Amino acid sequence: MKKAIGLALAVLAMSVVATSAQGSNRITAASAAGVNCKSTITLPLVTPVTGGAGFLGAEQGSWAKYAVQTLAKPLGLKVKFVLGDTPVEQGPAPAQALAQKYVADKSVLVVLGPSTSGAVAASSSTYYAAKIAHISPSATRTSLTQGSPKEATPAFFRVVPGDYIQGPSDANYMQNVLHVKRVVLMDFQEPYSVGLSDAVEAVLKKGGVATTRLSAPNTTTDYSAYVTKVPSDADIVFFPTQKPGDAQTFAQQLIEQGKKAKVFGGDGSNDPSAFKQPGSYVSNFAPDITGIAADKALIAGWKKANPGKAVGSFGPPSYGAAQVALNAIALSCKAGHGTTTRQAVLQTIKKVKIKNWILGGSLRWSTKSNDPLNAKFYIFQIQANGSYKLVG
Amino acid sequence: MDTFLQLTVDALTLGSVYALIALGYTLVYGVLKLLNFAHGDVFMVGSFIGFGVLQLLGGTSKPVVPVWLLLVLMVLAAMVGCAVLGVVIERFAYRPLRDAPRIAPLISALGVSFFLANSMQLLFGATPRNYNIFDLANASLYTNGFNIGNVHVALLRIITVVSAFVLMVLLWLLVNRTRTGKAMRATSYDREAAAMMGIDIDKVIVFTFVLGSALAGAGGVLQSLRVPTTVAIGFVVGLKGFTAAVIGGIGSIPGAMAGGLILGFAESFSQGYISTKWSDLIVFSILIAFMIFRPQGLLGRADIRKV
Repeated sequence: MKKAIGLALAVLAMSVVATSAQGSNRITAASAAGVNCKSTITLPLVTPVTGGAGFLGAEQGSWAKYAVQTLAKPLGLKVKFVLGDTPVEQGPAPAQALAQKYVADKSVLVVLGPSTSGAVAASSSTYYAAKIAHISPSATRTSLTQGSPKEATPAFFRVVPGDYIQGPSDANYMQNVLHVKRVVLMDFQEPYSVGLSDAVEAVLKKGGVATTRLSAPNTTTDYSAYVTKVPSDADIVFFPTQKPGDAQTFAQQLIEQGKKAKVFGGDGSNDPSAFKQPGSYVSNFAPDITGIAADKALIAGWKKANPGKAVGSFGPPSYGAAQVALNAIALSCKAGHGTTTRQAVLQTIKKVKIKNWILGGSLRWSTKSNDPLNAKFYIFQIQANGSYKLVG
Repeated sequence: MDTFLQLTVDALTLGSVYALIALGYTLVYGVLKLLNFAHGDVFMVGSFIGFGVLQLLGGTSKPVVPVWLLLVLMVLAAMVGCAVLGVVIERFAYRPLRDAPRIAPLISALGVSFFLANSMQLLFGATPRNYNIFDLANASLYTNGFNIGNVHVALLRIITVVSAFVLMVLLWLLVNRTRTGKAMRATSYDREAAAMMGIDIDKVIVFTFVLGSALAGAGGVLQSLRVPTTVAIGFVVGLKGFTAAVIGGIGSIPGAMAGGLILGFAESFSQGYISTKWSDLIVFSILIAFMIFRPQGLLGRADIRKV
């Protein structure tokens, strides 16, 4: 019996070793293999398509798809756009599984996303091992690109600024413009909100503002007990959710319980269709691009392709990320005389400069990190009619 | 004291909805000995039916009927819609497996859960749906109500708690004071003996699904009056409802009511007095404690088997 168990264990161990060796060979082979630039290239966008943040995938997907439809052909590329779903409620597992899938697919040279910081942290090393650049249109956690240790690898890029800008921007606005005395900071036990609340709290504490920290599981639907814990003299509740409807619920429950505090959401709650409680605040990495003259034709084209949909703040950076990815592929194809590799594309990302950047101005990369240069955060206040007014 | 009172109000609101979901689990388990893991998704469908009716009747900004009638119609439509759904689920997913090993209907239940969540997503997308009851009648459902000291009990919470309790009392009366209820209890006690006594088992089981699913539909609307709903909400509320049913004693109707309230109080008070960070841990620790020390739950009866 013991012999049989020992034999079974040995066979199991050998098969595991053989499988992983085969897997790593596959990764190396796939990353080193040259791809004919005339063949169809797959460009995935990894984003929450389902779950409470499903609006994010819908918006980002529509813009990234539009970028592929309009930019690939002029760059001489044949590109198939696909969506990979990472519901925020399911944690890092879907991002890891998708990374494995795209690594194994030889037609994938670069990946858009993941959209959320937690998903980036969970999958970046897999992409890096296969030399696949991944460009996020919305993951803002500071430690993905800065500090030590970094949560993401050198294969990770983002086209929006991180919370190292958002945190201080929001905190400074609260202190210098709203003159807050007490702020409640929420987090949702996942990397994005914890990092952002940490960044805001650090600046507020330094400025002598009294802070209270509350932490809710990411699956929370009813915030009544959290609202109960908000002190009656609190001026602001910082609420960096990735589910804008929850920010709306929280703001309404504050009113229900007679609390005077206003909700201040991060970029994750920037959705005028879901978070529209007048008097609340929200920050975002992108301005309202409908006010940028150079984007008029682009917006008109996108609206034609997506009738009835409104221009939000999450979509345009996805167009930008796809633009960077496609240009990097085209540049590396040119350098490789019609063939390219994942590594070549990865090394070309920071060579891409875009003159008329969708978010205004031009896109240039920081020399110190894989972040955009001179990017900033914008603060909006929600008006009585639910519209977002730029206030900072 | 204000915090205590406010948390009590929160707990009653939360607990009454959990109790409605737990009742669905417990009814089906009582009669079929089946853990209907699709029940949370029936709740989700109910919340979407309520949203659909709200939109059909003009939404919160311009309702074409009085507010009270609007709320009643939303709840009734969800109850009827979910009852029909419950019958369909029973007919196609569970009845063919009634004599199969117990694992088979359990897997079928999980399959139905995924089917419902994904079908709803295909039909309506993943965007959360917010009833926006705050906009209804100038936020009167939030601002009206009564005060206990400094604590405001909003009309919306009163509606939620009272509706849930009325439904629970009606269910209790139905099960304990009617012929159909007696047939349900007999089927629950011994299905074969009940059949030999002339009880139409199929009818009883279908009626059980009608009742459980209707309660889930009502719960879906009552919860979504206050918080947004999504196609993914079924999993979380289903888990909470199941926990409440186990704590109360799965198969016991008063147990499910008590379990829902215990869970509501545990969640609210742990968030209020211990830590918002660890509330889920505390809640599910209670479940584990019950499984270890009192597996039959608070009001359930121990499963005695002839050996």
